[in-house]
Amino acid sequence: MNTFAVIARREMGLALRNRSILISALIFAVWFPVMSALGIAAGAGDDVTVLAGGIATITLPVGVFMGYLFCADAFLREKRDGSIETLLCAPVSLQRLWEGKAAGVTVPAYLMTLISAAVTAAAVSTLTGIPVAADPLLLLHLAVVVPVWIAAAAGLIGAAQLALGMRENQILGFVFIFGFIFLIVALQGAVPGLSVTTEGIFAAVGFALLALARFIAGKVTKERIVRTIP
Amino acid sequence: MNAVEVRGLSRSFDGREILRDVSFTVGHGEVFGYLGPNGAGKTTTIRILLGLLAPDAGEVRVLGRDLADDDDARARIGVLFENNGLADRMSAADNLAYYAGLYGVEDPGERIDELLALVDLTDRRDDPVGTFSTGMKRKLGIARAILHRPEVVFLDEPSSGLDPGAQRMVRDLILELSRREEMTVFLNSHHLDEVQRICSTVAILAGGRIRAFDSVENLTTASSRPAVTVVLAGAGDRACETVGRLPYVTGCDGNGGNLRCTLADPTATPDLIAALVGAGFRIEEVRRSSRSLEEIYLEHVGQSEGSP
Repeated sequence: MNTFAVIARREMGLALRNRSILISALIFAVWFPVMSALGIAAGAGDDVTVLAGGIATITLPVGVFMGYLFCADAFLREKRDGSIETLLCAPVSLQRLWEGKAAGVTVPAYLMTLISAAVTAAAVSTLTGIPVAADPLLLLHLAVVVPVWIAAAAGLIGAAQLALGMRENQILGFVFIFGFIFLIVALQGAVPGLSVTTEGIFAAVGFALLALARFIAGKVTKERIVRTIP
Repeated sequence: MNAVEVRGLSRSFDGREILRDVSFTVGHGEVFGYLGPNGAGKTTTIRILLGLLAPDAGEVRVLGRDLADDDDARARIGVLFENNGLADRMSAADNLAYYAGLYGVEDPGERIDELLALVDLTDRRDDPVGTFSTGMKRKLGIARAILHRPEVVFLDEPSSGLDPGAQRMVRDLILELSRREEMTVFLNSHHLDEVQRICSTVAILAGGRIRAFDSVENLTTASSRPAVTVVLAGAGDRACETVGRLPYVTGCDGNGGNLRCTLADPTATPDLIAALVGAGFRIEEVRRSSRSLEEIYLEHVGQSEGSP
């Protein structure tokens, strides 16, 4: 097994053993979509495409938040307790370590986001009596756009958590979340609805953010990480 | 080629000089003790050696390589920091399996079983590390550090926070590693007694500089004021009056049958013996008096306080 898979598998295993984060993620995955479903059902009437678009709209911020939640365990905890220093001495490049951790965060965050999307779809369908889960564009959104955005968010937040001190991380965590949500809302305002074009634009922006995350992670040095260990 | 080479190493943080022109070497298979007070720069030195920090000046080599960007060289190094590098929510075996994967250990299952037996944790292999005591975590941390059979292992305060029994276990384990697996051990420790027992060579760092670097034997026996203890068949205080007037004797203390003389010249011991025999004293034993590492350490650390 290559080191990327070793790191990613370990992070996934740790995420699944972290009861407090799992419970927080599950509460958010259920509470937020149920509340949103009321708004979607009330505003969209019986238009399936609009209903599916509403579900797609809320899955991105949910996914980004899930990424943030799981990053705290994968990146920040190891920095806080100092065990990142031991990992930096392993025969693995910093880039590979970041990639493995970001992937290990993306998978559980994506699974939680899918649960959230399923709950939203079920709630909307129950409230409107219209089955929306099988909409092909919604499925495309969930299969491509959502995981790319979660990976980008996890990568960017993870790189920042590695590079910054604890106090800066507390502040910048919120800046990242609100920055992402602002970007999503701005994009949804510019290209509203659920269409192939919309999904193409969101996917392209998601990949661009992923590339940006990779670029920024490449600039983080071991010295920077070690000197910001509390 | 030495296992570890440090030449002219300097490093500052925010204008404060932490290391200044530090040089020392560690030979293959040695157990090397790196000593110094808190904030002396020991951990900074280790971090530079491991490629985690860059030096401002000077050169460091471990196994002839710069570890900063050399994955192959890092695969030959083991590290134990104050944090054991273990995840509390994973079992002992899973923690070791993770590092086995990172270091590409062949037959990891067999090696993990062997190491868990070595550190006496076989019956806890599937328990989460978060349920372990500090001593058990330390033992598992050492097992993790040597999992991939490194040629050089860096141990930063391995006995820190351990009870005397666990300290002894860690000490025995380090000695066993050095002997059985022929590892070079770089030990950063405050436990001077521990260092004196297990290290072959030490360097004392204080005020950012190396104040002493030699074998433990040389440091504890050699001195600017060499001393010998002569065990006589009685009359130590009378012998003191006899030899106290000799020009090469700078100090003399007679206590019962024991005579302890401080000499101006380390080669003067035979002359002292001849003088005692000539004066009719019967000698039962002569031994060179040695000082403890703690005395030497305090002498050097105290000396550095006035010289930055």
